[in-house]
Amino acid sequence: MSVTGLGSAPALPGELDAAVAPVGRRGLVRALWHSPNGRVGLVLVGVVVAAAIAASFGGTPYDPQFQNAAALLQHPTWSHPFGTDQFGRDVLSLVLDGLGVSLEIACLAVLIAGVIGTIGGVVAGFLGRWTSAVIMRVTDMMFAIPAILLALIVVAALGAGWLNSAIAIGVGYIPIFVRVVRGPVLALRESGYVSAGRVLGFSRRRLLFRHILPNVSGILAVQTSLALAWSVLAEASLSFLGLGPPPPTASLGEMVSQAGSLAAIAWWTLAFPSVAIIFAVIGFNLLGDGLRDAIDPRTRKP
Amino acid sequence: MTDDGPAGAVAPAGRRLSGEGRARGLLFEVARRLASMVLTIFGVSIIVFLVLRLLPGNALTSALGVSEGLLTHAQLVALDHYYGIGEPVIQQYGSWLHAILTGNLGVSLQSRTSVASLVGTALPVTFELAIAAMLLGLLIGVLFGVFGALRPGRAVDVTGQGVSVIGLGVPSFVIGTGLVTLLASVFQYFPSSETFASLTSDPWLNIQQIFFPALTLSLGIGAAIMRTTRASVLEVVGQNYVRTARGKGLSRHSVTWKHIFLNAFIPVLTMSGIQLGYLLGGTVIVEQIFVLPGLGRLLVESINGRDFPVVQSVTTIFAAGFVVVNMVVDVLYAAIDPRIRNR
Repeated sequence: MSVTGLGSAPALPGELDAAVAPVGRRGLVRALWHSPNGRVGLVLVGVVVAAAIAASFGGTPYDPQFQNAAALLQHPTWSHPFGTDQFGRDVLSLVLDGLGVSLEIACLAVLIAGVIGTIGGVVAGFLGRWTSAVIMRVTDMMFAIPAILLALIVVAALGAGWLNSAIAIGVGYIPIFVRVVRGPVLALRESGYVSAGRVLGFSRRRLLFRHILPNVSGILAVQTSLALAWSVLAEASLSFLGLGPPPPTASLGEMVSQAGSLAAIAWWTLAFPSVAIIFAVIGFNLLGDGLRDAIDPRTRKP
Repeated sequence: MTDDGPAGAVAPAGRRLSGEGRARGLLFEVARRLASMVLTIFGVSIIVFLVLRLLPGNALTSALGVSEGLLTHAQLVALDHYYGIGEPVIQQYGSWLHAILTGNLGVSLQSRTSVASLVGTALPVTFELAIAAMLLGLLIGVLFGVFGALRPGRAVDVTGQGVSVIGLGVPSFVIGTGLVTLLASVFQYFPSSETFASLTSDPWLNIQQIFFPALTLSLGIGAAIMRTTRASVLEVVGQNYVRTARGKGLSRHSVTWKHIFLNAFIPVLTMSGIQLGYLLGGTVIVEQIFVLPGLGRLLVESINGRDFPVVQSVTTIFAAGFVVVNMVVDVLYAAIDPRIRNR
């Protein structure tokens, strides 16, 4: 039922057995490919990631910031497949570059949210009552601020910039990781094999890293994919509002914002950056749904 | 949304009570939720306050637009004192909280007017936009969801699914920018070019100005609500009581809305509550596109101008609104579903 990735509930203890049922690595990819969501998601993410990596290594047809005064606002042609903008820059190169920046920021943001959120969730689920209560209270309060708003005030405090965008978006997503991880950890702590390990005298660290974390990895993978979708969207929203990394850093959200006044005469300046954002957002969302289907056999369609 | 533990603990006691006792139990439940809500808002204000104080730059000089060198040391100290910048963080928070509780939201660093008056003019705009978007979203979501589920695979369903793909996948700022372009270039229609008219001063112009931003926001909400409604209705349609109701010869209208929809409504309500967070974030962007003088626009302007008293108050108001609405949704569960009410 994942819709925005923000509304997904953590697995209930009862759902856990299915949620953690291990699927072999090869089985996972096959299951992913066989679910329609997963297949479309894989393809879209593949295209987007390939484009972003190419751009990061300078694989754009033109220098994205090169302003060709002889080619202002040109229609898409063979030499400029996505046309040119009002400064004569090649839109394809700008889109590729922006996609690269966007994915870099999203990955860093998800890394921040994932690491802090997972630690928070594990600590809240595995350690004592007091720590748990404090962490969950703080999480509740962060939840009371809509994630994009949380990102906005972090940008307000830190100022706009590449790193600050990533921090802001990451902070916004932390509470979701905490909730998603804590539920299963709480249930796993009481499960038969963890109790058995405890009786055998395994250290807490061993229980945590060898017996609990591996069983949360599936849920983490799903959440990471959904978080990436949200982060790309949030990054684009921030830079659309003029609160992203300042120029000359390319940014899809800023391109859409600039194109607003041009789109009536030059549709390509609006269409292509928009499509890039949409591909990335839908791709990661579908990949997350597909991963969920693949990991949880009950939702997998025959 | 907050803790469910104590709520569960109250339920068994409520089951044995009846009449007056149950009313008292309900009252207690509402009081408990109110208390938890106030605590949450209090915590939110602390988080907002702390995040904004982490700033490395000096809010004062950036707000005054003067380089520090132009001011004498004594002037700087006096200004710091005036804005309370030199004090310890706890004291700053204390005086801010005190001021807020007495209805004084501070003075905007940029426009030198009181934050309360800025918020006072902006809040109704955002409120109207949010309500209109939610209503449109519910309308789109519920209608397509219900009729789509009743005739899966037919034209209504396919149309609905198509709209939901757009609503879920296309960001609101793309929809909004596209819509503005379309209206301007194809229909030569610019409702936002005139200054914003309030609902009381010029209702007709106001509706024109609110409709398109609300529509932009409602597609995302509507898509999520549609998916939930469709799934929920599909589950209910197969139930025995629906067959019985049809067998009794009840009108199709009555079966659809009284027997199917009401029973399928709880997940829809939950999803609507979740979408409110999206809606509040969305107003920030959509107000920017359609040049609506609401809270979101005020927030972005004050972030750009590093106008912290405004950022602080507006964010807290947004979050408080979100918390209050979530509580209302919780209470609505009980009002709508007798199974929850009589627990």
